[in-house]
Amino acid sequence: MIEVKQLSHQFELGKKDKKTVIPVLQDVSFSVTKGEIVTLVGRSGSGKSTLLHLIGGFLPRQSGAITINGTDVSDFTEAQFAEFRLGTIGFIFQNFQLIQSMTAYQNVELPLILQGVSETARKIQALETLEKVGLKGFEHHYPSELSGGQQQRVSVARALVLNPLIILADEPTGSLDSETEEDLLHLIKELNESLDITFLIITHDEEVAKIGHRSLMMHDGALIDQEVK
Amino acid sequence: MLFKDQLYFVRENMKKNKMRIFMTVLATAMGTAFLIVLASVAFGLHDTLIKDVLEQETVNQVQIYGKDDPNSQGITDKDIDYFQSLEHVRAVRKQSYLRQSPLVSLNGYETSPHTVAVDMGALETGGTPLEDGRYATSSDEVVVGYHFYEQLLEKDTDPEDMYDENGERTEDTLYQGELIGETIDLTVSRLIDETDTEEKTYQLTIVGVTAEPANEWQQDQSLYTTFDFYQSISEYTGTPGGEMYFQEEPMDLTFYYDEVTIQSNNLENVQALTDTINDQGYYGYSVASELKQINMLFTIAKAGLIFIGAIAVIIASIGIFNTMTMAVTERAPDIGIMKAIGASPKTIKQIFLLESSIIGIMGATIGTLVSYLISFLVNIGLPMILEATFEDQLPEGFQFSSIPWTLVLIAYVICLLVTLISGSRPAKKATKIDVLSALRREL
Repeated sequence: MIEVKQLSHQFELGKKDKKTVIPVLQDVSFSVTKGEIVTLVGRSGSGKSTLLHLIGGFLPRQSGAITINGTDVSDFTEAQFAEFRLGTIGFIFQNFQLIQSMTAYQNVELPLILQGVSETARKIQALETLEKVGLKGFEHHYPSELSGGQQQRVSVARALVLNPLIILADEPTGSLDSETEEDLLHLIKELNESLDITFLIITHDEEVAKIGHRSLMMHDGALIDQEVK
Repeated sequence: MLFKDQLYFVRENMKKNKMRIFMTVLATAMGTAFLIVLASVAFGLHDTLIKDVLEQETVNQVQIYGKDDPNSQGITDKDIDYFQSLEHVRAVRKQSYLRQSPLVSLNGYETSPHTVAVDMGALETGGTPLEDGRYATSSDEVVVGYHFYEQLLEKDTDPEDMYDENGERTEDTLYQGELIGETIDLTVSRLIDETDTEEKTYQLTIVGVTAEPANEWQQDQSLYTTFDFYQSISEYTGTPGGEMYFQEEPMDLTFYYDEVTIQSNNLENVQALTDTINDQGYYGYSVASELKQINMLFTIAKAGLIFIGAIAVIIASIGIFNTMTMAVTERAPDIGIMKAIGASPKTIKQIFLLESSIIGIMGATIGTLVSYLISFLVNIGLPMILEATFEDQLPEGFQFSSIPWTLVLIAYVICLLVTLISGSRPAKKATKIDVLSALRREL
């Protein structure tokens, strides 16, 4: 489902004459098969977020290759990646990234709007997805009226509503308390089992790492180990 | 993304900053209203002038003043035949002026009118209607102009008694009798040698009076005779048109027309007819040519005023640019989220361009409505103010400001173009927003 080959990346800081080059990824290669939950673990600065952003198309690739669901996305333009992302990849962010001026329903409806789905069809889909994540009755609440756990569920519903093949999650439990974290992990596991969605989750939390079928360990921009459960 | 959803997005976004949007729309409306009202003055004056020209009877006519031929002394019957053979010609009206002012006596009143020989048939079809009576059918019949009677003076009247202190004819000195059916004595003179003259009096019957000219300032005091009568005077004096000139040898009395007016069957064809005639070496003039020049002049004036007005819209566009730039900055995190989900740069750009276009359309619509109101008030109020201030009445049908649909269309197009241009840079900026920076709220 996801295949990363010899991916390297570096950041250039400072102005032209005083540039500092910081390598973040070095020759990273791995693959994720369909229906797998893979966690990427490592300390801060290990390059796991950069890796996720490159796979998600938020950063331009410098070297190496990325193939998602059989499509080589390595040389995709921003517009091509946007279109590709919309139907294929869902995102869950650490700090939820919900649009504050929109209700839970409107936030979940947003991907459907971007895909040009008709109003009737998207109403059904958005409400069904909210129900799936246990937020029935909270449709008209704004993010500020919801708890952290509920907001992350809205974020999951938004990632889920277009039936993606892959969900990329960046520290999904980072802003949640332990009880809510457990609920969310349970939900991810359930979605993976019932809908066969592939998950690539970044975390430094051992509890989160436990839900993966595999854990990839990163250190200083390189994959150093792999743990299969 | 469906257009309906883009509209929904824009509406929701605009609701968040009602006051700022209101001020921007207001500035655009003021710019548009300025453009329309300014240009409407040129449109109004143009309309008034065109209406005035079109009201003249001469608008369908081509006047021929001569021929570009050194051997030709004037327009002859051969030329008239040529004119009549042309397409779109309804009538050819020809006239020759008597080269002397004969003395006309009528029931004790006298005058020396401008005497014109005309083709009575062409006078009828050529747009010179009669107020009373009929057209002359024989050489001893004449038609008099509408103001002919005003020139008749009672014999031995002191000219000082004929005019009041305002310089107008006193009512009791005017000829009060009938004209139609009355016989006039028309006396012409001729030179029998270098110094001596003799006179001959013809008796003619007035059979018709022409209608009042369309414009107040026009006066018709002429005496219209037939060409046969004109020819008989030429024969009596031995000179063309009864000219007071003596020559031993007999003179050439070939008939030359002083003025030929060709009446076109349609206003549309006047210019083409004039061009055809001029191409054949005649000196033709039509009001339509004048209209062409008027139109050209006013087109330049309109374009100039629209250009000046457009500057106001451009100034207003600075507000749109500012509003849209602020909107993009404020919404950067939301744009980042949308892009992360899968919104393409094209969709983001469309949303912002749509927002600036809506501001433009709202401004143009309000500006147009206000312009119509101002135009209406100006057309009502200005004549009242001018009359009250200068005690001078404006001509009837005078229009100071006119807003045709074309001007509204021009204003809309300019407004929309300017708003699109001013909104395009912020829209482009929105597409360039870096997703990661936006998600980290670094923008």
